[in-house]
Amino acid sequence: MGAPRTHEVARGTLPAMSTSQPTLAVLVDELTRALGKSSVLARPEELIAYEYDATIERARPDIVVFPASTDDVATVLRLARKHGVPVVPRGSGTGLAGGAVPVQGGVLCVLTRMNRILEIDVRNRTATIEPGVINLQLQEAVATHGLTYAPDPSSQRVCTIGGNVATNAGGPHTLVHGSTVNHVLGMRVVLPDGRATFLGSRVPDAPGLDLRGLFVGSEGTLGIATEIVVRLVPRAEAVRTLLAIFASIEDASNAVTRVIASGVIPVALEMLDREIIRAVQHSRDVGYPEDAGAVLLVEVEGLRETVEQQSAQVIEALRAAGALDLRIASEAAERERLWEGRKSAIGAIGALAPNFYLLDGVVPRTRLPEVMRGVEELSARYGFRCGNVFHAGDGNLHPNVMFDSMEPGATERVLALGAEILRLCIEAGGAITGEHGVGLEKRSYMEWMFGADDLEAMSRIRLAFDEAGLFNPCKVLPSGHGCASAHSAELTHHLATPGVYV
Amino acid sequence: MPARGTLVTATSDLEGVLAALPRARHRETSAYPIEGRFPSVALRPESPDGVARVLAAARDARAAVVPQGARTALTLGRPVSRYDVALDTTGLHRIVEYEPADMTVTVEAGVTLHALQARLAEEGQYLSVDPPPGDEVTIGGLLATARAGAWRGLLPGVRDLVLGITVATPEGTLVSSGGRVVKNVTGYDLHRLHTGALGSLGVIVSASFKVAPLPEATAMLALRCPDIQLAERAAFELRDRRLPLRALSLLDASTATTVGVETRAPATTVLAAFEGVPAVVARAERESRDVARRMRAAIEAVPPFTWSALRRRAALAGSEEQTVLVRLGVPPSRVASTLAAVGSGRLEAWAHVAAGCVYVRGASLTAATLLALQADAHAAGGFLQVEHAPAELRDIGDAGDLELTRTLKATFDPEGVLNPGRWGDDA
Repeated sequence: MGAPRTHEVARGTLPAMSTSQPTLAVLVDELTRALGKSSVLARPEELIAYEYDATIERARPDIVVFPASTDDVATVLRLARKHGVPVVPRGSGTGLAGGAVPVQGGVLCVLTRMNRILEIDVRNRTATIEPGVINLQLQEAVATHGLTYAPDPSSQRVCTIGGNVATNAGGPHTLVHGSTVNHVLGMRVVLPDGRATFLGSRVPDAPGLDLRGLFVGSEGTLGIATEIVVRLVPRAEAVRTLLAIFASIEDASNAVTRVIASGVIPVALEMLDREIIRAVQHSRDVGYPEDAGAVLLVEVEGLRETVEQQSAQVIEALRAAGALDLRIASEAAERERLWEGRKSAIGAIGALAPNFYLLDGVVPRTRLPEVMRGVEELSARYGFRCGNVFHAGDGNLHPNVMFDSMEPGATERVLALGAEILRLCIEAGGAITGEHGVGLEKRSYMEWMFGADDLEAMSRIRLAFDEAGLFNPCKVLPSGHGCASAHSAELTHHLATPGVYV
Repeated sequence: MPARGTLVTATSDLEGVLAALPRARHRETSAYPIEGRFPSVALRPESPDGVARVLAAARDARAAVVPQGARTALTLGRPVSRYDVALDTTGLHRIVEYEPADMTVTVEAGVTLHALQARLAEEGQYLSVDPPPGDEVTIGGLLATARAGAWRGLLPGVRDLVLGITVATPEGTLVSSGGRVVKNVTGYDLHRLHTGALGSLGVIVSASFKVAPLPEATAMLALRCPDIQLAERAAFELRDRRLPLRALSLLDASTATTVGVETRAPATTVLAAFEGVPAVVARAERESRDVARRMRAAIEAVPPFTWSALRRRAALAGSEEQTVLVRLGVPPSRVASTLAAVGSGRLEAWAHVAAGCVYVRGASLTAATLLALQADAHAAGGFLQVEHAPAELRDIGDAGDLELTRTLKATFDPEGVLNPGRWGDDA
């Protein structure tokens, strides 16, 4: 039945491991002439700040550039390609999978200077923005028009929309509204060979292949978005936030299923376990009972009538699931207080241990109770404390494993624990990443979810966009020559720093 | 729906069947005409593996395969340049997995939307799509064409609802992406690439979707406005009141009459559908009456038939071969001016406001008219898609970045087995 299969994964990731100094010098010179002196960094002391993202994976770029326009980006890609030098795109560097770490050096293309909101079209409920716009800035800019941009990753004060596009970012409010891909209508992109094109349109369902849908979530491996048209949604007339206290994480997990079974899909359904509650209370009193096993934050929104009826249904479901206590807030300030514990959770946990390892798995939400029990048992077996704060409504877990990397062997054991937890997610019918991405971190786990034919198809996508294999190499897909040394580095450290968001 | 008896069912001697392609008789294939052409052989495999085997054999035989389900959208895209094998997907008819509490479902490609909705309704759930012409479409066709209806822009579309997919490839393999969890960023989203790809990169054999609770209450209203300007104002006012709309459409007089709302030009009808909890739907009806009064519109409840009739207008029956149907995408603010530009001659025109989707239909649409409409759409950042037209008009439609399209086509189907020519790729 046809020719033997060719595994072209390798061909796609064959670039030289490092670029020669004379080549780099020529490239720096050409980039400086094209973009201007203030847009190109190449001195080692200037490059240090760009060698990592929110993982502590490190690799120093040879050159950092700050393009200001689509033409600049195209120039950067064309020049780098001409000299056979890898290019890695980067936004604010808040990624949690090492996607912006230049593991083979080369040019790091930092998009933060392209930070203009080009248009807010209230009548058509769209905004056109450059990739360096910060998520929260966009939300604030459209709020005055009664609109909002729905995806709200917890890093939204810092992260860029370009980065959100790359990772198909989620957030607490994507339960109803969907992830970034559901909100991007079209994009101007520069492909790895320097050609600019437009994917999608200003309205949904453009004819032709949905290259827009393929590009969003491709983790910066298919090109660079330089202008993004996003969909805005009207702000709700009424919002109500409920905080429910449970004796155990299992009760709270069952409550998640009960709430959804009541026919209500809340806009957010977030869970914090005992470890997190204590950490939060320890750093600041947000009114969580320290003896609680778990708290659920539930938010419903819509017209007043909808909110009335749905919050009644949610309350009934929470009580039936054994909620020990319920707090309800409708005013913005009160709601903000209920959210405070959730929003400060990661910062608080940072104080508990020298290091923590943040995981990102997904399971069908009905499997949450057993999977959470499994996470607890595995952590105990490995001898680590583990706190859970996560998007329970979409079954997207975020175990935070606390440890001390100075303790001999601890890092290796933490990574082994992380791998076992992700295996548990897959066995429950889930996936290895719900919103952070595969990046560098989880490439070697891809084979757990996908067969050789699936990965072959994905590597062909990559080749179709980047035949030279020089664009953000060694990310997303497993294996590949020239990535071997990066791969061993990859296994040593993926420890989140206190600056991470979930 | 063709009778099963007229089909050659895929069996172990498939290679033999395909080897005999040139001599296969029309008698077996007469149920699969496409634009006056008939395939040499028609096959109806009953498993995903069976589909993969057909494709591999077709590739070896250098035969062109046109996958088809309910056969309602075979004129989308450029005409196929070769047509040797009709691959009937209706043999893939299982609902593979349905977990109501997770609100996810996995189905094979040949399941009709009607059958799926019936199963989901037993649990008070549904898939929030209303593609033309009706629920007789198959899931494979729904995905491959990504055709949307009046709900698009207000409810999530099929592109937003597909969680994972399995496709059969011309190499005879089955390739999967995504999964069946509602939030997942693992690997490239091939399921989004295949959605709307018109079966040009692989044959969809199964897919997983996110489903939703059925609304407790719905209401459907027609506001017959004196002219297009007032109709546009009424529509935007309904939208801006944040009412729980699931459809908001503008119909010219001839379209309105066709779907059972009696009017005469220049009257323009706003059709609005609401869904949600009963108290909210009641409020939406009250507010709609208020809007109608201020726009000097007559307001009345309409039966579900009106919507299904409108949905049917966005497709053509076999007997309407000379009719031209195009879909324009324009920003919502340009919907009314686009309708006005079409005029109220012998054409029908209607629009779904939230998605900026304007349909124009009629036998008198010429290339010159299409090019003018397309130029206006492009100027507004939109597009024109030819949904149905004689072959000579089909080159006009937009199709995205052709260079990437051809590269991807050559990557996944280098021999041109699948729907060759749909993207102008078989020249």
